Amino acid sequence: MRRYLWWAVVAFATTLLVVVPAVSPRYVVSLFTLTVITALLAISVNMLAGEVGLLSMGHAGIAGAAGYAIAWGARQHLDLAPQLGLALAVTLLVSAVYGVTAMRTDGIVFLMITLALGIVVFGLALKWSRVTGGQSGLTGIRRPAAFADPQVFYYLCLILTAVVLLGLTVLRRSPFGLVLRGVRDSERRMTSLGYSTPATKFVAMMISGLVAGLAGVLGVWNAQFISPAVAAFDKSAMAVIIVILGGIGFPFGTILGAGLVVGIQHWLSSYVERWPTLLGLLFVATVIFMPRGIAGAIQGAAAGRVAVAPWSTWLSRIGIRRSGTTAPEVEIPHQTSSPEVATRKGTE
Amino acid sequence: MVAGTAALLVALAGCQAGDESGSDTVTVGFISPVTGFVAALGTDMRRGWDLYWELNGNTVGDVTVRTVYEDDAGDPEIALTKARRLVEQEGVDIVAGPVLANTAYAVGSYVASQGIPSLHITGADDLTQRQLDPHILRVGYTSSQSNFAAGQWAYDEGYRRAVTLCPDYAFGWESCGGFVTAFTAAGGTVEQLWHPLGTQDFSTYVSQVKELAPDVVFVGSAGGPDAILLYDAWQDFGLTETPLIGNCCFADQVFLREVGSRASGVRSFMYWAEGRDSPEVRKFVTEYEKRHNEIPSMYAAGSYLMAQVVAATLEKTGGVVDGTAFVDAAADLSFSDSVYGPFTFDDHNNIVGPVYLTEVVERDGGGYWNVPVKTFEKQSQFWTMSADEYLRQPVFSRDYTGQR
Repeated sequence: MRRYLWWAVVAFATTLLVVVPAVSPRYVVSLFTLTVITALLAISVNMLAGEVGLLSMGHAGIAGAAGYAIAWGARQHLDLAPQLGLALAVTLLVSAVYGVTAMRTDGIVFLMITLALGIVVFGLALKWSRVTGGQSGLTGIRRPAAFADPQVFYYLCLILTAVVLLGLTVLRRSPFGLVLRGVRDSERRMTSLGYSTPATKFVAMMISGLVAGLAGVLGVWNAQFISPAVAAFDKSAMAVIIVILGGIGFPFGTILGAGLVVGIQHWLSSYVERWPTLLGLLFVATVIFMPRGIAGAIQGAAAGRVAVAPWSTWLSRIGIRRSGTTAPEVEIPHQTSSPEVATRKGTE
Repeated sequence: MVAGTAALLVALAGCQAGDESGSDTVTVGFISPVTGFVAALGTDMRRGWDLYWELNGNTVGDVTVRTVYEDDAGDPEIALTKARRLVEQEGVDIVAGPVLANTAYAVGSYVASQGIPSLHITGADDLTQRQLDPHILRVGYTSSQSNFAAGQWAYDEGYRRAVTLCPDYAFGWESCGGFVTAFTAAGGTVEQLWHPLGTQDFSTYVSQVKELAPDVVFVGSAGGPDAILLYDAWQDFGLTETPLIGNCCFADQVFLREVGSRASGVRSFMYWAEGRDSPEVRKFVTEYEKRHNEIPSMYAAGSYLMAQVVAATLEKTGGVVDGTAFVDAAADLSFSDSVYGPFTFDDHNNIVGPVYLTEVVERDGGGYWNVPVKTFEKQSQFWTMSADEYLRQPVFSRDYTGQR
């Protein structure tokens, strides 16, 4: 009975996602749409973090660039196909830049580089005002007439997210997925086995970038407006927070995490003035008590692994290393040359 | 009398379908950033707005004005969600818009598409220029508007070479744009310096100014910490001999509280001069200070004026809020005095009103404030050009500040 707890949660959440917007007023539908789109960006981050062990702090830059591409195309009154083509081209270009710059790095260096790249995109959006409208942004962007209705648009986003999740599952089960996890667990070993880990990471970044680009396009269609805020650091940081809340390596958990964060930011904030404090406390509590995220905790409970850990364990979780995890730790998996660490990871 | 009442009832019946609160209440959705990095501005806005209704009661004729507050945290996405909530769930009749430029554009555009009037105090130029919608009314000045007079005045004072120092983003481009347009049109030359928003150390900029040895320096600032740091560097480098003029927001109260007597004599071109000797200003400042223990900022003053405009328009339309008709009625108003002075609106729904050359002076009772020494009447967002002529020029950017 307990084993099916996670599936029960998934089924319940899916039912909510499918049924509620069909019978709710437009405002509720808009909240759900925002949740799904935010989740999509977080899923792109989670893919890199969970499968490859690389935590990116700059993915909002890719989403933002794609958003600006489609926004610009819409204002130039291009047809839908050239608009999407432009957005795709920009996404691939920006992801490639991210990939090339970061493919030989990992851990904290990867994080810093992606953070910097995100800020570069933000800076471009802010300064290149002739194209991007600068800080004021671009208004009057209309999504395609077929999706003008908010409910129709919501289901489009939901279906696309389901397709992405399916795609990621296929990827995870494929041989390439094995390679990715190999790189996550021990780059050194993969290199000695003959794999080019930079190339692998580059491809992973491209795939993750495509998902982020999709999130960016949908985001612009949702708001019908864009400004540099979409590529700002706090959007990237929020994606990471959602990933950690949901659980690194648990894509569906990301949706739960997104629901929580969007709920607090956009809904609870109407009733609670100190909502940023609440969000921060939630994040801290998750890191201490549920380091594998909400999904990880539920799955752990389902597998009977929950126990009330002694307070010393909780204290140690605030520190650097944890023991006995199968999913990557909350902190960035860090490759060291210490054989003790390599063995420990190898036994998972 | 009967016909009038019947007409009023018919008009009220035609009100927004989403008005759940009954036909004798007008609901205003007030969006401002109460959390986030500009929380101080958003809080001031609420205080100014509230103060008007507290002093005058929130009944206008037969209608009661009810306000629903939302926090946009300075983020356009959150601002949009809140606007959606206000329009779709609360059924507001009017939206009093958020203050940051990108949030204002996002919300203004959405609210207008729903047929609801919105009022703004943000200075973002294009809101009443290239991006104007008939549902939008700005109860304030554009970022460039108060600086045209500065450029003309500087030339008239005999200055021929100016250096401008503005933050490198839209507000800075527009602020300096106003000064540069007027100053160069009159025949002066400018050297432009741009600094990133949030600069911690102004010594490089100030030393460049010293090297250039201009006749006058124009500083565009969004106020607060930037202004304080700049002025500290200015004094440290001994530049007190060079004439300095600030824009609307350089010598604001945050600056004056920190810098105090060192800022005595600093001149700026402002539209909100808290030291102006007028009954409207004195009443507002006294009442605000009684409640909040500080002299009100331009955000409080602007929101107070927004409330005043809403009240006056409701009186005019008999409590009816009907999309663009409400905005048209508001734009027809004229005030012989207000916290900003006497003003009217132009045909692009923006204020045409006085700009003051102010000086920082010590106040009886402590503190420092800006007192006008010269008034420039009827300044328009289009300066001395016609709307069409002005709009044919490119948007102010780092590369284009109207230099001739």
